[in-house]
Amino acid sequence: MFRKILIANRGEIALRVLRAARELGVQSVVVYSQADENSLPVLLADESICIGPAAASGSYLNVRNILAAAIVTGAEAIHPGYGFLAENAEFASMCEEHNLVFIGPRPLNIARIGDKASARALAAAAGVPITPGSGPLPDLGAANAFVAQIGFPLILKASAGGGGRGMRVVHSLADLERQFVNAQEEARAAFGNPELYMEKYLEEPKHIEIQLFGDGNGNVVHLFERDCSIQRRYQKVLEEGPSSLDDGLRARIADAAVRLAAHISYRGAGTCEFLVEKDGNFYFSEMNTRIQVEHPVTEMITGVDLVQEQIRLAAGEPVSWSQADLKVNGHAIEVRVNAEDPDHDFRPSAGVITDVHWPGGPGVRVDSHAYAGYRIPANYDSLIAKIIAWAPTREQAIARLERALKETVIEGVKTTIPFHLKVLDNAFFRRGAVYTNFIARRMSS
Amino acid sequence: MEIRELRRLLAALVAAGVNDFTLETGEYKLNVKRGHFSAAVNAGQGAGHDHGQQAAPLVSLGAAQTATSGGAPGALALGTEAGWAGGNLVEVHAPIVGTFYSAPSPDAPAYVNVGDRVKPGAVLCIIEAMKLMNEIEAETAGIVREILVSNDAPVEYGQVLFRIEPD
Repeated sequence: MFRKILIANRGEIALRVLRAARELGVQSVVVYSQADENSLPVLLADESICIGPAAASGSYLNVRNILAAAIVTGAEAIHPGYGFLAENAEFASMCEEHNLVFIGPRPLNIARIGDKASARALAAAAGVPITPGSGPLPDLGAANAFVAQIGFPLILKASAGGGGRGMRVVHSLADLERQFVNAQEEARAAFGNPELYMEKYLEEPKHIEIQLFGDGNGNVVHLFERDCSIQRRYQKVLEEGPSSLDDGLRARIADAAVRLAAHISYRGAGTCEFLVEKDGNFYFSEMNTRIQVEHPVTEMITGVDLVQEQIRLAAGEPVSWSQADLKVNGHAIEVRVNAEDPDHDFRPSAGVITDVHWPGGPGVRVDSHAYAGYRIPANYDSLIAKIIAWAPTREQAIARLERALKETVIEGVKTTIPFHLKVLDNAFFRRGAVYTNFIARRMSS
Repeated sequence: MEIRELRRLLAALVAAGVNDFTLETGEYKLNVKRGHFSAAVNAGQGAGHDHGQQAAPLVSLGAAQTATSGGAPGALALGTEAGWAGGNLVEVHAPIVGTFYSAPSPDAPAYVNVGDRVKPGAVLCIIEAMKLMNEIEAETAGIVREILVSNDAPVEYGQVLFRIEPD
């Protein structure tokens, strides 16, 4: 096992990794920006080292300072958390060049599966279904030819795009004719490249993702699925597991995910995301090559510690479990508590948390770096806590999470807790009728 | 007082060679005596909670409630430092993370010593990061009044390395 690791992240995930390391008897070096000097992971760290100014480009994305910090403190490995450098293949290979273990997949895994086109090709090669999609469309004629094969609805996307920008749903030929040139111009303006392609548009899919863990030698286990359909502007709001899909379908999706990860001899924790239609068809959408924000859902229903397992595997130990060892026990739901004002279009509510009281009692877990007196920096994302409830059944987990959120007190800033309570109270949510358009369709007031 | 401020204050006191230091505020009184290096804080209020791994052997801190910061962490340290210096000193900060070297090679004399006069562009030290030697240069003409880091020590981003009294 390592003696000392460096945590190249901030906020709740830095604290999560710190806790995992401490329980393994491993010391942690926490790197931080000047804005995070008084953050909880820094205060609790065995060692801490400032790596740059508040702007992430100079600190949490500053590869040189992070590697230098690892070297001067004698850390043997780097845990990247999520976001920042977690899925940066170049950073992962630079760690290796400096004899530092990158706690994550091989650089080649990250590079191949991180690229959208390459990931689709790998999925197809592994026999994993992907949404029907076109190649680059030079003109409207090519678009019409694709429509003839697939039918409507379709979604137009910019080849150079991302993050939901420039996407247009088209329902008819007239619609397509009208939107195509506009979309090209928009893509040219936004990304400097007018190239478009099309994919089949799924109207009301569920977002189902499979938690995977690979040993790097082609052996991959899955830790079941999470349903992350409740999203706002492509950002997950609430995640739960297991999903309400029937057992046969759940097994088929998990098998597909394992096939893909085994196909690339994936190493460490990863997640395959799928869109699942009501008729049971499912399509691979992307793979995340890191620990995810919502990993506690899986930990609560399987009883494993994914972050400790990441560290153990990176230190050269074998994976602790075989597929037969892994079972689902009960149901878990996580909400992301953001410092945002749900009454004013979720605008960020930075400032000082003047008082905080976390919920307790059976089956409740809180992962948070917030404390009374903590100033939320305006430079980073607004996540201040993840509150997770576990119970034997979904119904009981909903009741428990509702109870826990009502116990929670966060003063000084607005949070998304009132919004989460409305979701939990929603009749469609309660009966599991949850698709990616849930918030737009069922929560708009 | 935040534990980090205290750590910085202690480092600054050591670097400046201060042997006896007292600071009194509405909330606490801090007395640091050096020679045998002991420090004590008498907190006006608040239960003790001790985050300080590194500082623990040096100080016992009955911390004043962490109702803290918001405004001005570091304000305290700045005030006291100006106190001993007796002038407006320009601080030279580490622009990168790495290892501090005061001389170009182990046998060579230090680039600068306390009392030396420097011009803009004069090399003050080297910070080694990832096998690259980065020379840190003076931006101000003046006299080096304080060197706050010892040879071969790791430095973090923004750490104060030198204080220079400008001409």
